[in-house]
Amino acid sequence: MDRRSIIVILTAVLLRLFLFTIFPALPDLLTSRVEISTPVTSYKRLKEGLYLYEHGLSPYNGGVFHQAPLLLAFFTALPSSSIITNLVYILADVQSALSLIQIANTGVSASTPLHTSSRKDNSLPAWAVGAAFLLNPFTVATCLSRSTLVFTNTAILTAIARAVNGELLPGILALAMSAYLSLYPALCLPALILLSYDMHKRPALRVSLGVFATTSTMLFIGAIIGLLGLSYSITGGSWEFLYSTYGVHLMLPDLTPNVGLWWYFFIEMFDSFRDFFLCVFQLHLLIYVGGLCIRFRKQPLFVITSILGLCAMFKSYPSIGDTALYISLLSLYHHVFPLMRYTFFATSTLLYASLLGPAFYHLWIYAGSGNANFFYAITLVWCLALTVIVADALYAVLRDEWETERPEMRGKDVMQI
Amino acid sequence: MAIIPLALRSAKLFRLLPALSALFVLVGIAWLLVLPLDDYSRRTYISENALLPGSVHTYFAGSEQNVFQAYREEVKALGRDASSDDIVARIGDIFKGQGLKVGVQKYKYTASGKDYEGKNVYAVLEAPRGDATESMVLVAGWRNMDDVLNESGVALVLALARYFKRWSLWSKDVIFLITSDSRAGPQAWVDAYHDMQPQNVSPLPVKSGAIQSVVVLDYPTSSSFDSIHILYDGINGQLPNLDLFNTAVSIAGKQMDIHTTLQEMYSHNDGYSSRLHTMLRGMVNQGLGHATGPHSSFIPYHIDAITLQVSGHGYHDEVSMGRLLESLFRSLNNLLEHFHQSFFFYLLLGARRFVSIGTYLPSAMLLASSFTLSAIRLWVQSGRTTTTITPACETPQRALLLPTVFTLLLHLLGAIPLYLFNTTTSTSLTTTFTNFTLLTLLLPIAISYLLHTLLHPTQHQLTLISCISLLLLGLFLAALATLNFSLSFLIAVFAVPYPLAHAAAGRGKCASAFWVLLLQVVAPTMALVGVAKYWGEEVGLILEEAAFGWVVWRMWTQVVVWCVWWPAWVCAGVMACSGWWGKVVEKKMEEVEVREEKEEKKERKEKEL
Repeated sequence: MDRRSIIVILTAVLLRLFLFTIFPALPDLLTSRVEISTPVTSYKRLKEGLYLYEHGLSPYNGGVFHQAPLLLAFFTALPSSSIITNLVYILADVQSALSLIQIANTGVSASTPLHTSSRKDNSLPAWAVGAAFLLNPFTVATCLSRSTLVFTNTAILTAIARAVNGELLPGILALAMSAYLSLYPALCLPALILLSYDMHKRPALRVSLGVFATTSTMLFIGAIIGLLGLSYSITGGSWEFLYSTYGVHLMLPDLTPNVGLWWYFFIEMFDSFRDFFLCVFQLHLLIYVGGLCIRFRKQPLFVITSILGLCAMFKSYPSIGDTALYISLLSLYHHVFPLMRYTFFATSTLLYASLLGPAFYHLWIYAGSGNANFFYAITLVWCLALTVIVADALYAVLRDEWETERPEMRGKDVMQI
Repeated sequence: MAIIPLALRSAKLFRLLPALSALFVLVGIAWLLVLPLDDYSRRTYISENALLPGSVHTYFAGSEQNVFQAYREEVKALGRDASSDDIVARIGDIFKGQGLKVGVQKYKYTASGKDYEGKNVYAVLEAPRGDATESMVLVAGWRNMDDVLNESGVALVLALARYFKRWSLWSKDVIFLITSDSRAGPQAWVDAYHDMQPQNVSPLPVKSGAIQSVVVLDYPTSSSFDSIHILYDGINGQLPNLDLFNTAVSIAGKQMDIHTTLQEMYSHNDGYSSRLHTMLRGMVNQGLGHATGPHSSFIPYHIDAITLQVSGHGYHDEVSMGRLLESLFRSLNNLLEHFHQSFFFYLLLGARRFVSIGTYLPSAMLLASSFTLSAIRLWVQSGRTTTTITPACETPQRALLLPTVFTLLLHLLGAIPLYLFNTTTSTSLTTTFTNFTLLTLLLPIAISYLLHTLLHPTQHQLTLISCISLLLLGLFLAALATLNFSLSFLIAVFAVPYPLAHAAAGRGKCASAFWVLLLQVVAPTMALVGVAKYWGEEVGLILEEAAFGWVVWRMWTQVVVWCVWWPAWVCAGVMACSGWWGKVVEKKMEEVEVREEKEEKKERKEKEL
C-alpha cells in the first residue's frame, strides 16, 4: 500500500473520531434519520434487541429488532462502551477501504483476463478509490449512525477483494456472511463465482466452469447453513429469527419510510394484491442477475457493481449506505466516465434529492404542513438519479467493450436500429 | 454533452442559456409583483366547517367588566417592574381563588452575555366535557414585545379565566398563561410543556393534553381601541394554519364589527400598493425568521397560534375584546381534529386576501433555477477549456478536485462568522460587526490572490469553481424555498448579480474592479445594515436579537446567511477579481465558439450539397 492510501485512511479515521467526539449528539441524530437507518439496519433497534437478549428474552419479541443473531453475539461480547463501538464501526470502514484499495491495485476493473479496456491508463489510482469510499459524506453518515449496513458492506467488499485475488474460499465465505447479514448480497453470488473463476491463480489446474460453479455454490450453501446453525444455537434453539430477519426483508411488514420505492407502494396497496406485488418486486431484482452475467461475461466485477446499484434502488429497505457502496465501486470504472452522458444531470439530481429529502421529511413529520407524498416524491427523484447513473454506466461499459473490439469505431456516433 | 447532448452541442442553444437565465430572473421577480392583483390572489375563506365562527351568542359583559377593572387595578398596582416573584404570587393567588390548578415555572437564558430570566405562571381549567387530551391556551405577557406593561391584557385573561370557569361547555382544557416577558417566557413554557426544555428552564408541574391552538393577547392600554392587529408569523417563517387567522378575522369583523389589520399596515385600502406592501412586510418578517410575538414560539411545535394586538383609538373596549375571545374560544372548542383543512403556506395581502403556495412558489423556484442554468452553462463551457483533446461521443474530463474542495472550504468558512456573532457579548457586537465588514471587503481579494499565487488554477478550474458555487447556491435556494419561501426569495434577489460577477473576470481589469465594487452593495453584511435601516434600529441591536433568536428560539436564519449566502458571495468576489491576476482566457473561449458555429454551418452546407 502506498503512502497516499495511508494518508487517506488516516484522514478518514481522524475525521470520524473528530465527528464522534466533537459532536456527541450527531450519531444519535443520524441514527434516527430514515434515510440512513432502516428497520433492518438501525442501531437503535439493535440496542433494543441487545437489551432483550442480555435479559434472557427472545430478541425478536415485540417486532422491533430485525437483524441477524450473530450481531447480538458480537455486540454482547464487546465491552459496552460507546468508544469501543465507535472504533468497531470505524475499523469496519477501514477494512472496506483496504479491500477497495486491493481491488483497485489489481486493475481488474479495466483489464480482466478476458478483456482489456483501451482506456485502462485512465483509471483512478487506488488511493483515490479509497478516498471515494471513505470521504463520501454518505459513507461517513452511515458510519456515524452506526448502521449495521456498515458490516454488510465490509463483508461484500472483502468478498470481492478475495475473489479478485483468486482466493475462492475466503471470497465465498465473506459473501455468505454479507448475505447472512442482509440477504440481498446473495444476488452477487453468480457474478462472484465468475470473477473468482476468471481470476484463479493457476490456469494449469483449471477445472471447467460448471464444476467450479457447482463447488462454489455448494460452499456458499454450506457456509450459509453453518451460519444459520450457529444463529440457531445462539438464540436458544429457535428458528424464530428466520422470519424476523429474512422474512422482514422478503415480506416487508415494517412500513417505516426510507429512500426506496417500496414503503409507499405497499402502504397504498389493497391487501389482496400484497402477496402478488411482493413476488413481483422481489423477482424484479432477481431477473437482472442472469442477463447481466451473460452480457458482461468478460467483466464480472462490473456485474457485481451494477447489481449492488440496482439493490440500492430496488431492495426492500435501502438506505444511503447502499448508494455509497455503489458509488465507490463505480469509481473503479473511472476510465469509462468519458463515455457516460448524463453525469452532471445525475449528480445534480442526487444532490437536489439529498437536500430536498430531509426538507420534505421535516415538513411532513415535524412541521405538519406537508404530507407523505412530499417525501415519496423525493425518493422517486432519488431513484431516478440512481437509475440514470446505473443505466449510463452500463452504456459506457458496453461502448468501451465494443470500442476495444473495434478500435476503428472509436469516437463515431452509433445508433441502435 | 452533459444534459441534452446533441442540443447543447449546438452553439446557438448554448448561447441562449444566459438569456434564458436572465429571463428566469425577470419572470421570477415579475411573478411576485403581479401576485397582489385580483386575478392571482384569492379571498380567504373558512375551510374547516366545524369552526362555525361567530355563530354563538356571547355573554361576556356587564358585571364581568367590573371584575375586569378590579383585576386591572391589581395589575397596575404591581406595575411593569414588579419582581417576577411578586407577580407569580399575586396572579397565582387569583387563579387559585378561581378554583383552577396553578403551576409556576422558572426560566433563565443567556444570550450574547446577557441573562434573560423570569417566571411564568399558568392555570389549567379542566374541561367539564373533555378527557384532558386536548387543550387551548390563552396567553398574555406581563410585558409585551415593546416591554410595556400589558395591563388590560393580563387583566382580561384573569377575568376570562373566572368567566370560562363557570361554563360547562368546554370540551378541551383551557390553559391561562401569564409570562413575565413576551420573548423568552413563552418559549420556555412551550419547551417545557413538551419536555424539551434546556438546562436552566424548570419543567412544568401541571400539564394538560396536546395543545390545539394558542391565542395571545397584547392589550397594553386602558383606553379604548379602534382595530385589532393580528400577528401570525412564526419562528423560521413557519405559519399557523390559515383557518385560525380567518376565524379571528371573521369573528372580529362580522360579530364584533372590529376592523382587523396585519403587518403594521394600519391604513390598508385594499389597493395594489397596500397589498404589495403587506405582502413584502410579511416576507421580510418570515424571511428573518424571528418571533414577531409570543405566539411565534408555539408554531414550531405544530401548534397554530396568533397574537391579537389592539391598535388605534376608537370605540371598542375590553368588553368587545372579551367577547371576541369568548367567541374565538367557542369556535376552537368546536374543532374535532387538529387544524389541517386550510393552508399552511400562504402570503397574506390583507386581512381577507391571500396567495397560496402553488401560485407564489414558482417565483422563488425560477430565481433559484436561474443559478442552476448559469451553472449548467459554465459546466458546458468548462468542457471546452480542457487541454486534452477529447474525441466526439466522449464527455471531456474535468479536473474537479480543486474546485470542489475550494468551494466546500468556502462554505465551511461560514462557520466562523456564525460562531462569532452568536457568542460575542452584546457590548462588543457592533465593533465586531464593523471589523468583520471591513475584513470581508478585502477577503475575496485576499482569497483570490492566494488562490492564484499558491495553486495557479487554470481557466478550466476557475470556470468549474464558479460552476460548483452557483450550482450549490441554486440547490440550497431551491431546497430552502420549500421551508422558508421568503428567505429563499430575498437571498436570491440579492444574489442575482453573482453569476454576472463570476463572468466578469474575462472582461478585463476595469470590469473586475466594477464588479468587486458592485458586489459590496449586495453583500450579506450590507443586507444586515439594510434591515437595521428598515427598522430604524442599530445594527448591534439587530445582531443581539439574532443571537437571542439563535439561543432561545432556535432560529436557523443565521446558518443560511453565513453558510450558504455569504460563501456564495465570497466566491463571486474571488472570481470577479481573478481577472486581475489570472490570464484572460475568456476571449479565446469566444473564438472557439465562433469557430464551432462556422464549422456547423459548413457541415450543414455540405449536407445540403
